Amino acid sequence: MRRLFPLFVVAGLVLAACTPSESESPSPSESEPPPESTAPFSPISYPEGGPADCAYGGEFSEIKAVDELTVEFTLCFPDPAFLSKIAFTAFAVHDSAYLEEAMANHLILARPIGTGPYRMTDWQRGIQIVLEKNPDYWGDVAGADQLVFNWATESAARLLALQAGVVDGIDNPAPNDFATIEGDANLRLIPREALNTFYVGFNENYEPFDDVLVRRALAMGIDRQRIIDNFYPEGSEAASHFTPCAIPLGCEGEPWYEFDPEGARALLAEAGLANGFATVLNYRDVVRGYLPDPNVVAQDLQAQLSENLNIDVRIEVQESGTFLDNATAGALTGLYLLGWGADYPDPTNFLDYHFNNPANGQFGDVDASVTDPLTTGATTLDTEVRRAAYEEANNAIRETVPMVPVAHGASATAWKADVEGAHSSPLGNESFAHVTPADRAQLVWMQNAEPIALYCADETDGETLRLCEQVTEALYAYEVGGTAPIPALAESCDGNAEATVFTCHLRAGVTFHNGAHLDANDVVTSYALQWDPAHPLHIGRTGSFEYFAGLFAAFLPTE
Amino acid sequence: MLQFILRRVLLTVPVLIGVVFVVFAIARVLPGDPCFVALGQRATPEACAAFGERYGLNEPIYVQFGIFVSDLLHGDLGTSIAYGRPISEILIERMPVTLELTLIALTIATVFGITLGIASAARRNSGVDVGTMVFANLGVSIPVFVLGLILAYVFAVVLKDTPLALPPGGRLSAGLIIVPLAEAWGLQDLEGPLRAVVDFVGNMYVISTLITGQWGAFGDALVHLILPAVALATIPLALIARMTRSSLLEVLGQDYIRTARAKGVIERRVVLRHGLRNAILPVVTVIGLTLGALLSGAVLTETIFGLTGIGRTITDSILGRDYPVIQALTLVTAILYLAVNLVVDLSYAFLDPRIRLE
Repeated sequence: MRRLFPLFVVAGLVLAACTPSESESPSPSESEPPPESTAPFSPISYPEGGPADCAYGGEFSEIKAVDELTVEFTLCFPDPAFLSKIAFTAFAVHDSAYLEEAMANHLILARPIGTGPYRMTDWQRGIQIVLEKNPDYWGDVAGADQLVFNWATESAARLLALQAGVVDGIDNPAPNDFATIEGDANLRLIPREALNTFYVGFNENYEPFDDVLVRRALAMGIDRQRIIDNFYPEGSEAASHFTPCAIPLGCEGEPWYEFDPEGARALLAEAGLANGFATVLNYRDVVRGYLPDPNVVAQDLQAQLSENLNIDVRIEVQESGTFLDNATAGALTGLYLLGWGADYPDPTNFLDYHFNNPANGQFGDVDASVTDPLTTGATTLDTEVRRAAYEEANNAIRETVPMVPVAHGASATAWKADVEGAHSSPLGNESFAHVTPADRAQLVWMQNAEPIALYCADETDGETLRLCEQVTEALYAYEVGGTAPIPALAESCDGNAEATVFTCHLRAGVTFHNGAHLDANDVVTSYALQWDPAHPLHIGRTGSFEYFAGLFAAFLPTE
Repeated sequence: MLQFILRRVLLTVPVLIGVVFVVFAIARVLPGDPCFVALGQRATPEACAAFGERYGLNEPIYVQFGIFVSDLLHGDLGTSIAYGRPISEILIERMPVTLELTLIALTIATVFGITLGIASAARRNSGVDVGTMVFANLGVSIPVFVLGLILAYVFAVVLKDTPLALPPGGRLSAGLIIVPLAEAWGLQDLEGPLRAVVDFVGNMYVISTLITGQWGAFGDALVHLILPAVALATIPLALIARMTRSSLLEVLGQDYIRTARAKGVIERRVVLRHGLRNAILPVVTVIGLTLGALLSGAVLTETIFGLTGIGRTITDSILGRDYPVIQALTLVTAILYLAVNLVVDLSYAFLDPRIRLE
């Protein structure tokens, strides 16, 4: 070994001498801009043969480029949440030519080209992703020259990196570390407003949950604040409504019942169950933002129900997929623990999916006093009409108790104290263009995991979507640190009175990172390839385009 | 010798066939649906059906096994469900991380372990001996994740802004971009197995930056490996130190050692030349076993220090029900383990000429 080492070093030096210098190598970020097209703009529409037959069950009927900077979406049914939906990262607009060039060979999965404030420089798999400021950005240019995404699965490792000063901000510090961060003058904790709901479910088709008195007794007999105080991070709150209040129109109507064990016992007695009853409590042992510690919460609920209502609860953990299947199919006969995190910030995402959705059998037959106003709220753009509808729906939910909303679970981000513009996004899509790391040229962000692939139309992972947010943009965006949809690549999208036609006016002069100009055909192509499984570019990473199907109801039927 | 090697290689074939069977079966009996893991818990039945079609999961289990074996025989490890990329690419990216970490950790463990073991045996019951054995016992007792976090806290946070400060994790400093080996050597157009080899070596950053003269990156990559390598080396170091001590003590009690001393051979020569050579065989066995174990991945160390090596990849693939990755990487790990064992066996003959490989 003593002989080999100098040999190895010498060999290294010789090879190093023979290696071209770094400056001779092309920069990874360099790419040839596409030749500027001189052909007149030729608007396209989709489907090419005219509007789709709405009997297919999806939301879109037609997407049409009216002129170079105008796109028209014709819907099959009214959608007041349309702007919230199109602001979602999965619906970013891509350069049509680049989609053609980079989809089939999967180049787009590693090297997205968008219009965003940062552009991709390098993805060192397993290590980091490096982005650089887009100097040609149509809006305010980013606050740092370079943005670096790092990741560590362990919250302790993320906090150590922040304390060591090697990163500027971290996602999801452990709740136990909140006090440490707050006690460190060099650091700053920013709670993330909860955009999720944890609830105790039951199915009205099974006894004794078919009796509204029993359901109300459960609503009043659970000390929700105790659960939050004991098991949830700071910033979490007892749910006053099923929809979190951070969502516009989410908390109209009366707040949920106060904890009243005596009143609850009286209701049970009135229902003929003065001695309680026996039931099962199902859940999956999966940590989520809305349920940070499923096992201990289940045990506490078991204890509370026994103590407060004399209900004998047997805990039964199910495998995650099986549990979800059983819940959706309405096959869970007892109590169960489940929750929901926002896909897009509108009450329809919470209320309609759960209580006005024939495909979801988890609560049994939901009362018309709930479903009727939900239908009203989901079919008008008039804010005041929607407000009244959600007030009525929330009050009906409170009366009929299809479930017991328990908590909105908070999380947080932590930053170096000198970072300006630091924020936590309720949707988890922090906008780093608005963050300036004091006088440093580099902003380093550490999150929970490495992004999977960077064509986000076909991704569902939050860690992945966050990176795409910095590079690509949709017609609308969510306000920084908030949930309201605001214009992005579109200066406006105007809906007709019935909320069935939306006309979007694109910003002029926006260019992609490869120099191509944004036009209406880019928008049509970006949507069409997701919408139509037969589209030649309907490829992505998995080919599933889950969010399109989830938010816009269905794909175009294939022949 | 050649016959021995051939026989050993042939013997690995039934072992590997067994591994292929067992790994395929175990991956399939894991509870949970890869569709939900890949597409999210809200994936519709239609989406899951299409997903299954795409990855061949809708086929009968024996057909899936047949495809797996057929692909293997054609040198195709398959495509990851979670990443949608060829597993060979993932292997080329991640195996070098584990290999680099393992080699540095094992070097630390071997050099310090044998040195401490010799010092301890040569001065039996002295302060050195007691101190070494206390250290060895502590080394095998402290869980690696605790030690890792302590090391990271001390060297990255407490000693921050001092010359002793070390990064708490990762492979490179944020924003540092290494020129890939293939690019540095002008081999961008190279394809096939040779390109895979170049990329594999290129992903061992300490080596690739050294041979391409990226000195800043070389220092950075090396510095980032110190803490994880020390954390990973602690347990093997303790084992090697204890094994060296006990083995050497046994040898030092032999008659021929007494004879050597009686002939006036200096003590250093007695211990190192006459004693250690004969005491080293069990130590080599421990080193070989440790190497095999470390090559299969140091999950905790990789997790604490944010290194995406083979151990974390296998763990993630199990959690993500990424069957092709579980199967392929476990198989690769098994092959490596068998290869290491073979090398260890061969080294016996080299170290002790009395041993014949028959």
